[in-house]
Amino acid sequence: MIQTIEASPDEIYDIELEHSLLEANARLAKENRALLDRHGVTAIDVMGAIGSGKTTLIGCIVSRLKDQVGVAVFNGDATTSSDADLIAQSVPVVQIATINGCHLDANLVGKALHKTELQGLRLILIENIGNLICPAEFPLGSKARVVVVSVTEGQYMVRKHPHMFLGADVVVINKVDLAEAMQVKVEDLTRDVHTLKPDIKVIPTSCKDGTGLEAVADVLLAL
Amino acid sequence: MHELSIATSIVESVLEFVEKHDIKEVVEVRLLIGELMGVEQEQLRFCYSAITKETAIENSTLEFDRIGASVYCPHCNYRGGPKYWDDALSFMPVITLQCPECGRAVEATQGTECAIKAIRYVA
Repeated sequence: MIQTIEASPDEIYDIELEHSLLEANARLAKENRALLDRHGVTAIDVMGAIGSGKTTLIGCIVSRLKDQVGVAVFNGDATTSSDADLIAQSVPVVQIATINGCHLDANLVGKALHKTELQGLRLILIENIGNLICPAEFPLGSKARVVVVSVTEGQYMVRKHPHMFLGADVVVINKVDLAEAMQVKVEDLTRDVHTLKPDIKVIPTSCKDGTGLEAVADVLLAL
Repeated sequence: MHELSIATSIVESVLEFVEKHDIKEVVEVRLLIGELMGVEQEQLRFCYSAITKETAIENSTLEFDRIGASVYCPHCNYRGGPKYWDDALSFMPVITLQCPECGRAVEATQGTECAIKAIRYVA
């Protein structure tokens, strides 16, 4: 049975708290960042919708960079390890299973960091859960956020998810080899990104023909 | 559904407060939510009511103080409200980080709040 207690006004108190709700995550993110900085490792949070090509892109970048610098991948996936298995063939991978959680958080990434031999690493690519809404409010301790959007998601993807792009440092427009078939103009997507956030680096890529992959690798190394 | 993560964080904080101060009944939890946070009010209320069931705070309500965004432009020193994208085909104007004066990138100075502002309770 539900009981309702009606308070008389003289019994009611107000207390001002100003207690931040995202502070716990933000604090852990800072700790992650400090740990990474101590080891001279740059972590990059890679975000994008399901099917935008995050895993394939990370795979292409990793195979380009692995002979030059130490690279590792944290692979966030709600349930499976299929993506991690794919990349683990070439570099160290830590699978982060959120078990149906819709975003990675700093706590999970912190645990993954403690499982990783940071010595000798230069770059960690953190593949976030395929979701364009939730990860935006949960920093992980990465130095930059790369948002991957592909032409196959249609011409309005950027304006449909403005929050994700407002928080991005680099935007990759992927699968540009399919732009014509999809009747999506890469310039339109780029313009939408710049309407939301001028000056941000936008790189059109295709993992199929190699377009833009070198530019992405260069940008990541320069961060 | 990051609203569920946020609701969980609210409930943990409020329950901790209730226990610490030996409070009889929480009437209202007032939140500060910035415009840039992408927090959906109705979903957050729904998550809150779902996870407070059969706890000491199940009769409390969640109220929102929305905080509008402010921006600063390091290129032209503009300070003030953000520029909105009116024709983004959205049912409401979309907030941008474009300077309303010079069109370059701005920094948000207000609008990223996500906090419990106050708790109303019966002692």
